Amino acid sequence: MATIKLADYAKIIRSQNVDEIQLLAEKVSGLSLKMVNSTLVGGGVAEILNRSVPLLNELGVKTKWEVIKGDSDFFSVTKGFHNALHGNRIEVNEKIFEIYKNTNAENLKNMDFSEDVVVIHDPQPAALIEAKKNSKAKWVWRCHIDLSHPQNEVWQFLKQYVSQFDASIFSAPWFAKELPMPQFFITPSIDPLTEKNRDLSKSEIDKVMRKYDIPRDKPIVTQISRFDYLKDPIGVIQAYKLVKKHIDCRLILAGGSATDDPEGAKVLAEVKTAAGNDPNIHILSLPPFSDFEINALQRASTIVIQKSLREGFGLTVTEAMWKGKPVIASAVGGITLQIIHNFTGVLVHSIEGAAYQIRYLLNNPQIAERLGKYAKEQVREKFLITRIIRNYLLLLIAVFHLDDNVVQF
Amino acid sequence: MVDSKDNSFKLVDHRKAQKPFRFSTSSVLVILTGQRARHLKEFIEKLKTMPDGVIFYHVHNAFREYHFAPGKYTNDFAYWIGEVLGESTLAEKIANIEIDDYSSLISLKETIIKLVEGFLTCAVEIRRAPPGKEFYFCRNMSFIMPTKYEVRNLDEFCDALKRVGMRSLYFHFFEARLRLGHKSNDFSEWMRRELKEEDLALKIEKLNPYLYTLDGLRNRIIELIEEKIRPPFVRIIKKWLRLN
Repeated sequence: MATIKLADYAKIIRSQNVDEIQLLAEKVSGLSLKMVNSTLVGGGVAEILNRSVPLLNELGVKTKWEVIKGDSDFFSVTKGFHNALHGNRIEVNEKIFEIYKNTNAENLKNMDFSEDVVVIHDPQPAALIEAKKNSKAKWVWRCHIDLSHPQNEVWQFLKQYVSQFDASIFSAPWFAKELPMPQFFITPSIDPLTEKNRDLSKSEIDKVMRKYDIPRDKPIVTQISRFDYLKDPIGVIQAYKLVKKHIDCRLILAGGSATDDPEGAKVLAEVKTAAGNDPNIHILSLPPFSDFEINALQRASTIVIQKSLREGFGLTVTEAMWKGKPVIASAVGGITLQIIHNFTGVLVHSIEGAAYQIRYLLNNPQIAERLGKYAKEQVREKFLITRIIRNYLLLLIAVFHLDDNVVQF
Repeated sequence: MVDSKDNSFKLVDHRKAQKPFRFSTSSVLVILTGQRARHLKEFIEKLKTMPDGVIFYHVHNAFREYHFAPGKYTNDFAYWIGEVLGESTLAEKIANIEIDDYSSLISLKETIIKLVEGFLTCAVEIRRAPPGKEFYFCRNMSFIMPTKYEVRNLDEFCDALKRVGMRSLYFHFFEARLRLGHKSNDFSEWMRRELKEEDLALKIEKLNPYLYTLDGLRNRIIELIEEKIRPPFVRIIKKWLRLN
């Protein structure tokens, strides 16, 4: 695949926005930046880094991306942290903290932080901040998850690391915790030129539907998500069953897995049990690098649903909106920043609410079409990768002017 | 989107400015203040202590972010009060504050406080926002930089206005006046001072920018300038060409 350049986005966003990004890049050209996270593939963070790192380099910011290494014990612990920070209680003991500290310490032995700015993504590598005392860099903690109701023991443990950063970034105002440093609000984004989001021809979509043996003989309702309790796939099946009493339709539950998510197989088994033998429910456990298939499944859908119980930002919602789909999603986390109820999608609060809205939109396709149209414009303006590139360029200026309200060139 | 490459039927305008107009642009990063309000009493107590930047952010955020479509509420305060608290009457009053009439954020803030306090005096119940739907006070950090567009007459100005980004229009029309304390929008000031185009300056000044989307505002300013520098028959041909 040819390398994507910033200029390629000028066909999608206003060309003036591309000009402005280049103008900003001139101000930070030559600075160096390191991004650190915990997985190379799977999950929204890896997807954003995959594309934004080359673009930042193209713009003259010397950007490196490093992934911390850990064994399955470490990722079980950090998955537990993830759940606990989202408000689900986990069993806390000294051992899990030791595993976390030791893995970060091991990683530190093989890393250097000679860049101007270091951005650490999420809690998994947060303890790398221990290297700050020997580094000239400005350190930023980029938190992609909702910290509004964390399990206190886990948060207090992580806070000792997080509070040492020079600045932090949250995806929504209500995700933030009281911390002794400036907290920026930056939403994540999607890339319209990746396999997951690029335009597809009808024959490409048909090919994928044939591959998974999904007939297009009736409306299709789809949720694309990892098999994770917090995405409530069983709730989606229950909503589908309520709809099915009145309207014939198909349900697709499709999701990949990430290397830092050991819980997926267990949830998948439960979902299969809940689906039973219904031939209209299609459960697809997709291997890594199934972006093209996900794209086609979203585009083949009549309605896209995201019935998460908790959500970081919800990039699968953004992806569906970008494809002009009417999205019905839970009013949780960053989804409420994306969906303006009845304008760019529909927000729901329960299985019954989701079922009602699916029925309503299947019966009113013109309303569904209008929601999809505004959804796409919303994403074009606010949630494309070009926006995040702009924000990173601004961040590189901001971290050296943390006491100023206005930076004038 | 505006077609920025339309240079047809250009007529030369001979009135040249001594001092050129340089288009600037502003980008923002949003900073979370960490303060939130769960109901109107808390909202007003906290609003009183907030710096001007918070007022500016919440009054312009919806406008800046949703310029592709006009929304029901023109500012974040009205949205929260109307959609979350369900106090539609107060929300409409706050949505309809003529921000254009204010030359300072302090007086704008006082008006908002007065409206909410007036409402609270008569309110029979204080509604609480459900958890997660509180009002979160934010402010922004602005980054202002000059663009490559520098113009000396109306013709050049019009062409440049078609090319610059929305953030440039936003900066010269909103940010410069309310945040940097300029007397009027920057366009009118320059046209009046450098080109002696009092009429045109006044017409642009009289536009209420809060009633347009940014696209709409840009198109309207371009129309006003073209009316000034291009004879009617040229405009008719251009319109015909656009329609066909």
